[in-house]
Amino acid sequence: MLKMQEISKIYRTDLIETYALRQFSLEVSAGEFVAVTGPSGSGKTTFLNVAGLLEDFESGSYQLDGTDVRALSDDARSRLRNQRIGFIFQSFNLIPDLNVQDNVEVPLRYRGLAAADRRERIDSALELVGLASRARHMPAQLSGGQQQRVAIARAIAGDPAFLLADEPTGNLDSLMARQVMDLLEQINDMGTTILLVTHDPELARRAQRNVHLIDGQISDFRAYEPRAAASGGADAVGAALA
Amino acid sequence: MNLHLRPILSALLRNRTGAVLVAMQVAIALAVLVNALYIVTQRIEKMGRPTGMDVENIFVVQSAGFTAHYDLKSSIQQDLAWLRSLPGVIAATPSNAIPLSGGGSSQGLTIVPGDRTRDNSFGYYELDEQGLDALGLHLVAGRNFRHEEIEPPITVDDAGRFVGNVILSRAAAKELFGDQNPLGKPVYDTLKHQATVIGIVDPAMNSWVDNEHSDWVFYMPRLTSSLYGGVRYIVRARPGERDAMIRLAEAHLSTSNPDRVIHFVRPMTYFKDLSYLSDRSMGIYLLTVTGLMIAVTCLGIFALATFNVATRTKQIGTRRAVGARRADVVQYFLVENGMITSAGILAGCALALATGYYLSLQYSLPRLNLYYLVGGVLVLWAVGQLAAWQPARRAAAVSPSVATRTV
Amino acid sequence: MLGYYVRLALRSFSRNPGISALMVLAIALGIAVCVMTLTVFHAMSGNPIWWKSDRLYAVTMDNWDPNNAADKKHPELPPPLMTYKDARYVAASRVPMRKVIMYTVDATISGAGTAPLRTPTRATTGDFFAMFDAPFLYGGGWSAAAEDPPPPSIVLSRETNEKLFGGINSVGRVLRWNDQEFRVVGVLDDWFPRPRFYDLNGGSFSPPEDAYVPFAWGPALSLQSSGNTECWKPETINNEQDFLASDCVWIETWVELPDAATHERMQTVLDNYWAEQHRAGRFPRPRNNRLTDVGQWLRDMQVVDNDNRVLVGLAFAFLAVCLINTVGLLLAKFLNAAAITGVRRALGASRRQIFTQHLVEVAILAVLGAALGCLLAALGLAAVHHMYSAAHLGHRGGYQELTHFDTVGVAWAIVLAVVATLAAGLYPAWRVGRTPPAVYLKSQ
Repeated sequence: MLKMQEISKIYRTDLIETYALRQFSLEVSAGEFVAVTGPSGSGKTTFLNVAGLLEDFESGSYQLDGTDVRALSDDARSRLRNQRIGFIFQSFNLIPDLNVQDNVEVPLRYRGLAAADRRERIDSALELVGLASRARHMPAQLSGGQQQRVAIARAIAGDPAFLLADEPTGNLDSLMARQVMDLLEQINDMGTTILLVTHDPELARRAQRNVHLIDGQISDFRAYEPRAAASGGADAVGAALA
Repeated sequence: MNLHLRPILSALLRNRTGAVLVAMQVAIALAVLVNALYIVTQRIEKMGRPTGMDVENIFVVQSAGFTAHYDLKSSIQQDLAWLRSLPGVIAATPSNAIPLSGGGSSQGLTIVPGDRTRDNSFGYYELDEQGLDALGLHLVAGRNFRHEEIEPPITVDDAGRFVGNVILSRAAAKELFGDQNPLGKPVYDTLKHQATVIGIVDPAMNSWVDNEHSDWVFYMPRLTSSLYGGVRYIVRARPGERDAMIRLAEAHLSTSNPDRVIHFVRPMTYFKDLSYLSDRSMGIYLLTVTGLMIAVTCLGIFALATFNVATRTKQIGTRRAVGARRADVVQYFLVENGMITSAGILAGCALALATGYYLSLQYSLPRLNLYYLVGGVLVLWAVGQLAAWQPARRAAAVSPSVATRTV
Repeated sequence: MLGYYVRLALRSFSRNPGISALMVLAIALGIAVCVMTLTVFHAMSGNPIWWKSDRLYAVTMDNWDPNNAADKKHPELPPPLMTYKDARYVAASRVPMRKVIMYTVDATISGAGTAPLRTPTRATTGDFFAMFDAPFLYGGGWSAAAEDPPPPSIVLSRETNEKLFGGINSVGRVLRWNDQEFRVVGVLDDWFPRPRFYDLNGGSFSPPEDAYVPFAWGPALSLQSSGNTECWKPETINNEQDFLASDCVWIETWVELPDAATHERMQTVLDNYWAEQHRAGRFPRPRNNRLTDVGQWLRDMQVVDNDNRVLVGLAFAFLAVCLINTVGLLLAKFLNAAAITGVRRALGASRRQIFTQHLVEVAILAVLGAALGCLLAALGLAAVHHMYSAAHLGHRGGYQELTHFDTVGVAWAIVLAVVATLAAGLYPAWRVGRTPPAVYLKSQ
């Protein structure tokens, strides 16, 4: 479902070139829960941005659902992002002047769904994250954990094939962090592939597979024991070192 | 004092679109300000030229006879006698035209009969012995017309007749005689008729304020020679009495003679204002639009500075945390603004000079005076710093603790 | 989707009401100044008889001083007026379809049962009304053929007819014009060509005269022109005959030439006449006989003055500053919200959608700016009108006639505002669409 081969991403300034990703290859199959770990500066975020079609890359190939994304126009990529990918960020990134349901509505709007359809999806997403009663609250009126759950609702409202989560618990205390991780596991159990980027080995341990990045390259990966009753984790495909 | 110009400059260059836009506004504003001020000053100078006349206290009566019974000469005598009998009137004269009004007559004069090498034209006024007094003109040499010198109106049968004596404006005398004393010397009309210069007034103006030589005037001792029966009286009232006299004259003259009709009784300021109307409105318009333009530019500077402060809160906090004083932060933003404004001013100087040059070519305005450029530069620089002052103060108020705060 | 963008725009305005208001104000000011200036400029440079302006020609011949041009600043132009002799020659020609020679006189009308009325009058030939499309309310003009002796016919302006006869159909009434008996043959309807192209001497925007009489009455009653009379030649003028024979110019001359062939023939008529007179010692300057159509005439006579051109330049400079300002403010505003835009991009908004969303926001600002700009322009024009009216003490004519803000002006203002602001908004909207979203997502 996600297949990256020998991807390189370089950041250039006037003076220096930095390889953020170097000959990076990874395959993730449907239903997996993969954690990407590594120290700061190791290329985690770059990986996430490339995976989420937010950034271009210099070389290599990236196939999402069998489509080579490199050849796609901005419009097509946006559509792909809109329909197949959900984002969760460390700092939640809710739109401050939209209330909860309007925030959840944003990706549905860009998909051009009819009002009734949007309504239904918003309700069920908020139901899932347990915030149906807060639909008309503004983000500022919610706690950090609640905000992140709204962000998760927004990410899954469009039924994406996989979720990209960037340190989703980084700004939360441990209790709230646990709730968020439980929610992600629950979503994974429902069949959504999850890519979790974190520097926290404890969180990474909750994934089925752990990819460790150093200097833009995979230094190590470990397949964890599949969680109990995990449906799609058994046939995990390994990622190869370049 | 270390201004740290280089780091500020490199920070600016990394985020230059906003700065370039503000610099463009400054450049255009400077070019407009300098040229507008220059044009306005010229208009103000033009409107402020001395007329030599007691414009504020003078009013003008225009009438025309329209029946066969109408007798111009006796009508003038009656009207003048009545006007002069008014206690609020200092002096009254018939006149062929109204100075400063845009309407009147002019003719060429020479000091050599038949000289056709000089193409000059002097506004002239036919007045009687009260003429200079009625206009409030100041005789600086020679003498006024005497009562017995006032000649009868010219008629269709002797339309080419000239007069025996004339009084010149000093500017007219200078044009004709240079530095010689003109008193007692002859001047000639285009038909080579001779007249003697008996007096000089200064200052003086003719009917056409836009004329290059609006101070070339001469006065003739003659009852007005209007051939269609019209006559104008120029009346000078005592200070404060003008409007009352206008009402009196309107009431009396419109019924005193059934063979003529009064066209108007108007203060001389009416004609002067009308003649300068386009200059005045041009000045007002230029100043208003230029003022607005500077205000809008200020707004642009203010907005950019505010934006820069808002997007750099964290950076400012960090600077504060590592020991920058409030004054250093204020200085940083003022220097940054100074650089942007200066770049705009530099471009603006070129634009101002180019505009000035274009205007001088296209509309034959005089070339731009460089003092205005210097003034404009100072004004815009000060205005730029003022506009950036408040955002810079706001930046200085950022607490050093933002540096350690996340989100 | 458009409705969604509009909602987002309104939310964005309420997020920064100050900066949004400033942008609307900046656009409005720029538009207002431009519209005001252009309204006056447009009125000044208008061609009030555009539908036949290429058939109507002013006739001029350079009879001036061999040493000095009539207008030193434009030595290529003949004097704008003609001598009596030359004008009569043109009036006698059978080549033009219509021809008019005329001048203005200051007259008094009495004997109509009202107080004597000062009546500026145009002494003109019979083709005047048909040639310049002057509309009649009652009656008509006089026959172009009946010039010698002139019929005692008079045409009144609508306003004069109201003053003298209370606005009734006064055709056939007798009145005294300069103490001569005249019969009213026609009353004009409202008519005020701006500029008064056929006679630009007494101010380009003066209203037409209050009455019209056959041209020949002027010389017959020895009536001097109340417009300009210009003489260059030292000539002894001791009576009316001397004056009529002199080289003084005071008569406006126009011909209507329906086609190129007639135009060519008319030019030949003038050139032959010039050659004949030149041989007889007149026309000392090089041959310069002109047939000038209305458009060129208005340019030659400099109806649009330099001040006004400077003001148009100023207005556009001001609009430029306002728009650059708007670009800067929009850019700051949009980039300030780049993090939110980044989120939207991550959630699937394409560049094009982001661009459209921001352009909708700009368009709303543009419409608000245009509306406010029109309002300010109307107020500004009213102020200018007031300023001029006050100076004119309520008289008609002059600059205040140029300050009418018509619907066409409003339409243009809106188009100008919307186009200008959209143009100003294109770059910021494009730029914010191009911003790489990833940068803003990993905040702190």
